[in-house]
Amino acid sequence: MSDYVSLENLTLAYGKSVAVEWLNLGIRKGELIALLGPSGCGKTTTMRAIAGLLSPKSGKISIDGRDVTRLAPSRREVGLVFQSYALFPHLSVFENVAFGLRLRREKDLEAKVMAGLATVGLTDFAKRMVPDLSGGQQQRVSLARSLVMQPKVLLLDEPLSNLDARLRLEMRSELQRVQKETGITMVFVTHDQSEALALADRIVLMRDGVIEQLGTPEEIYNTPVSGFAADFMGFETILPDENGGGLAWRPGAVVLGQGPHRGEVRGASFAGERREYVLSSDLGVIKADVPIGRDTYAIGAKVAFDLPRDAAVPLARFR
Amino acid sequence: MNSRLSTWLILGLTLTFLIGPFLIIIAAALSAGNNLAFPPQGLSLKWFIKVFEIESFRASFGVSMFLAIFGTLVALILGVPAAYAMTRYNVPGAEFVKLIVSSPIIVPGIIVGLALLRYFVIPLGIGIAPALFLAHTALILPYAVRVVSASMDNLRVDMEEAALLLGCTRFGAFRRVVLPNIRGGILAAFILGFVTSFNQVPVSLFLSGPGIRTLPIDMIAYMEINYDPSVAALSALLAFMSIAIVFAAERFIGLSRYV
Repeated sequence: MSDYVSLENLTLAYGKSVAVEWLNLGIRKGELIALLGPSGCGKTTTMRAIAGLLSPKSGKISIDGRDVTRLAPSRREVGLVFQSYALFPHLSVFENVAFGLRLRREKDLEAKVMAGLATVGLTDFAKRMVPDLSGGQQQRVSLARSLVMQPKVLLLDEPLSNLDARLRLEMRSELQRVQKETGITMVFVTHDQSEALALADRIVLMRDGVIEQLGTPEEIYNTPVSGFAADFMGFETILPDENGGGLAWRPGAVVLGQGPHRGEVRGASFAGERREYVLSSDLGVIKADVPIGRDTYAIGAKVAFDLPRDAAVPLARFR
Repeated sequence: MNSRLSTWLILGLTLTFLIGPFLIIIAAALSAGNNLAFPPQGLSLKWFIKVFEIESFRASFGVSMFLAIFGTLVALILGVPAAYAMTRYNVPGAEFVKLIVSSPIIVPGIIVGLALLRYFVIPLGIGIAPALFLAHTALILPYAVRVVSASMDNLRVDMEEAALLLGCTRFGAFRRVVLPNIRGGILAAFILGFVTSFNQVPVSLFLSGPGIRTLPIDMIAYMEINYDPSVAALSALLAFMSIAIVFAAERFIGLSRYV
């Protein structure tokens, strides 16, 4: 199956500093892709290159079989929902959504704008001015403004990071619903692994301008390839093995109270169904979760612990 | 209680020094006598009427208005793109350009005027009128660049990028998104430029000649020969005009947010 969006040997730089190097990525039609990684890993840069806001140093970008590498942003049929929403404050909600349609001189403007606002549940807000809206509402206007243009690809920059916890859940399901209804290909950038896991069909984990791992949420969560990927996916204890690889344990896989290793409890906190311990040991800092009902340990106590081999996830690379 | 008294005292003195001269001028202008004097000798509006009968005031008012309006417009036509370029692109030497652009407000006006006359107008044989126009445009340019830059700084770049992605060209994004959002800054720059140009004396002093004088220069010339209250009446009228402009600007766009 051929790729709908493809990035080939893409190298991106700001002046002399290279942000993304030799990146290859294929995205299928209708797929929801997350670009995941810590800040400075090149995820936003990659997204800006797809949008055409940054021209690549070398490499090729194509969308729906068309080479868009040298095409202006306005001609790529790509939508972008900015982290800051980037709405036009001098225009009403209606005019914001109508902005691109007016430039295209589309017919049935009003119907299309109202349909766009209906998709995000804001039909009653058409006449409002942008500064009068809440952050969540502004984001939905921004989403509608991009969606009415029927872009081939919709890019979203940290779509959930400026929202509070409750709105974040709401927006998450909103994005899933919109994607299901429109079947649009979406690429979103995030530094939050739980967002990527919850939303994406596939995750592109990036590190220092290259792809560290590419896979479904299950693959990346269960079988990280490296210490970096494991660390990002919540493995707290990562130890090298004899041949350059490593072993990784989640806090729940560490056994306290028995085993060959000794550690001292440095931190203990209650977290509902479990207690979370932090130990210092010869193996470094160990984090261990113990279900409620088991033995408890005081800070300063010396504890035996075990890192069971069969509960460990093997890593191809330690770093 | 004591500190309260001193607060009122300081406030009173400040207001006296700020508004006092203005009140004295209005009072002097309302005089019925023939000399510029305070307190006025009797009350009358005749000097306010006289102002409009003096031919040279009418001509020089026209010159000053023309300079203030069109000089400011040209300064904005040059200054807005300059401000845009300096805030949006990494222009090499942008700081240096800013300094050069600001130099007419840093260098004393007397020197600017003399230098223009001695090294620009005389050797190059440029007429007084275009030189006066250029000088006023140059004097207003710093205000145009600075005030517009300030409102451009407050405008997020991603708004323009959003416009690009929605189908605008770079120029289209500037016209449809940037301009409407810096409208207030441009209007503020226009008013500042207008007032600066209209009240300009030192530079205009060197660039005046027969038949071409700005109003303030004409008023000085008039006073050297006639010492009557018409100059006070004119000053009062000009002050009211400035107040009206600033008041209208504050009322409609909130001028104080920009300057």
